[in-house]
Amino acid sequence: MKKVALVFGYNDYGAQIAKNIVQKYEEVIIFKLDEDEPRNDMQEYKVEGFDLSDEWSSLDNTYDLNECVAFCVIEDDAENIFLTISLRSQFKDLMIIALSSDKESANKLSMAGANKVIPVVQTTAQMISDRLDKPVVTEILHNVLYETSNLKVAEITLEDASYFNGSFPAQVEWELDYNIMLLSVIHKDGNQEFLYSAKERHHPLEDGDSLVVVGYEEDIKFFKKRIGVTK
Amino acid sequence: MFKDWIVDAAYALQTSNRYQRVRKFFYNLLENSSFKYKRYFDMTMVLLIVVSVSVLIREVKFQVPAYIVDLNTYVISFIFFIEYILRFWISSSISKIIIEHKEKDALLDREFNFSLALFHILKEKFRYMISINAIIDLLAVLPFFHQLRLLRIFILFRVFKLFRYTRSVQTFASVLISKKFEFLTLFIFSSIIIFVSSVLIYIMEANNPDSEVKTLYEAFYWSIVTISTVGYGDITPTTTESRFIAMLVITAGVAVLAFTTSLVVSAFTEKLDEIKDLKSIDDLRKLEDFYIICGYEKIAQEVCKNLVKTNKLLILDEEHSRIEQAHKDGFEALNYDPGSVESYKRLHIDMKRQVKAILCLREDDVENVYTTLTVRSFNKDVFILSLLMNDKNRKKLEFAGVNEILYSKELVGLVAREFVGKPVAFEAIHALRSELNNINVEEIIITQRIAQNFTFVEELVHRKYRLLLLGIYKKEHKHFFFNPMGSMILEEGDVLLLIGNVSFIKEFEQHLNKKRKK
Repeated sequence: MKKVALVFGYNDYGAQIAKNIVQKYEEVIIFKLDEDEPRNDMQEYKVEGFDLSDEWSSLDNTYDLNECVAFCVIEDDAENIFLTISLRSQFKDLMIIALSSDKESANKLSMAGANKVIPVVQTTAQMISDRLDKPVVTEILHNVLYETSNLKVAEITLEDASYFNGSFPAQVEWELDYNIMLLSVIHKDGNQEFLYSAKERHHPLEDGDSLVVVGYEEDIKFFKKRIGVTK
Repeated sequence: MFKDWIVDAAYALQTSNRYQRVRKFFYNLLENSSFKYKRYFDMTMVLLIVVSVSVLIREVKFQVPAYIVDLNTYVISFIFFIEYILRFWISSSISKIIIEHKEKDALLDREFNFSLALFHILKEKFRYMISINAIIDLLAVLPFFHQLRLLRIFILFRVFKLFRYTRSVQTFASVLISKKFEFLTLFIFSSIIIFVSSVLIYIMEANNPDSEVKTLYEAFYWSIVTISTVGYGDITPTTTESRFIAMLVITAGVAVLAFTTSLVVSAFTEKLDEIKDLKSIDDLRKLEDFYIICGYEKIAQEVCKNLVKTNKLLILDEEHSRIEQAHKDGFEALNYDPGSVESYKRLHIDMKRQVKAILCLREDDVENVYTTLTVRSFNKDVFILSLLMNDKNRKKLEFAGVNEILYSKELVGLVAREFVGKPVAFEAIHALRSELNNINVEEIIITQRIAQNFTFVEELVHRKYRLLLLGIYKKEHKHFFFNPMGSMILEEGDVLLLIGNVSFIKEFEQHLNKKRKK
């Protein structure tokens, strides 16, 4: 079955999300409520109608929902929360990303079962203050994150940590030997650790650890090859 | 001939840059509270007043050295006299009035009527001379003529000059003036009570040998002392009738006092916001490098919370409820329309010197376009960042002159893409940005001092501070050098991007500034 993105919200948010993720999914399906007005910017996507009281049984039969991601971006918070809880009650493993207008509804969306909540107000405000306070950092990180520069951020999961021979992250000369920088290590247990935090000497690199590195694409490829990562 | 000479002189003065500059300087010094030297002038004048009155008080019982008396009589009086003349000069422009009359007559094709112009000039000057402030100024100068011993008492009028130099007294007076009708009513009521009770007590007590009330003046004095609820007790009513009058006067006195208190309190309550605004505007002049936040809606509220940690902010919003909310949140906020040029004029904001950037954060594109155009109409250079609510309006904002646009819906799209693409990397960068675990990305600008201390990247020893040097942004080349080589030269204006513990980054910055090149 196809890897599909399900966007619930026939609005500007839905249009922007669809535009940004269309290359990462085999199909993007936009779900619209009956009262939504037709839009020109969504004609390239498959649009289906839905109702908040739907049971979603047809979805389960058509798509592999474990591989799908659902975006709940209805602008009305109450409807968005209802939609999220409705999807979660039907599909335990579906990845749900939901939009919230404020912190209060962000909490409710998390309680309703959203895996990730994007608080619009806080995200926008943070971006504005970052741009004013740290313009260079913001621009560089923005370009790195949204891939508009040669620099990339990559997650590399160690398949065979024996290459590092039980070293601690701080003992490896990432910059000198590989021309990459290690931002953080996500250990198998899910704990995130920054290279220069106080804890780094307590945890040597192990199989299954994920390294978040930043560097030029070629250097990252070279590094992966050196440490024997195939994915 | 004489008329022509007068008109020529008026035009010469009106077009003389030097004359106008001098006149403007003295106007600013004496009348313009936003003029930077006025404060020093006011302080000097207050000091002279204090010295002058202190000498007068000292003279009452002690011998004061002659040179101090002379200083008080001649020097200080002379300074006040010069001030009076200057104020008289700037109160109205004679040359301007003459030119106005001349041009008006020329327009109507009639001969220049000098008498009318002169009458107009005299009227303007006389109007100034009979103003309370001018009378006080003149009386304060009179002790100069010290031969007239009585005139020395006019030194006390110098105290009244303090009104000119202290803003709080002016504010207090303006608050009371706002209730002048109520105060007038109260004054008439009290006057009637005082008059009637004085007459009555005089009639009832004047012929009584045991009574202290012998004259109408004493009756009047008793009435005032009683109605004010002071009641010295030096004069007391002796007859039953006059005691009855006393009871009525005391009752009226309580009412008058209560009414007066409530009037003053209500006047202050009503004017409280205005007084606070005046204070804020006054404080604003001293503020530098601050952001003007236009509008205080949800996003603006969050932006303010973030920015206030390291920046100074001023919120402008025409909606009173939102300004109240901003005050509750602890921000400097004024109920002024950011879309009106008049607001900026009244606030005396110097965009070039004081303002870092203007943030148009109304959640309405129409308002943001309007505010941007307003600002651009009088300042082309100030940095403007604006929210965009509907992508269709992007070009309008750009056309209006916004330097940077932030479209929250586009941002949500980008966040969603990154999250589904690289969730772990996304969380890692997000954690870095949001200072979780006290780890942050900071930028340090290479100042001239740092550039003198350190020449090459390898000298920075950032690793000693457990910091990661992500790269250097070369301002000159507008290029970011990731993982820079040790041999890279540091130049003034470069920006170091460092990742690490916030306090270590601060320590490192201090280290950069401390070290001296050997």
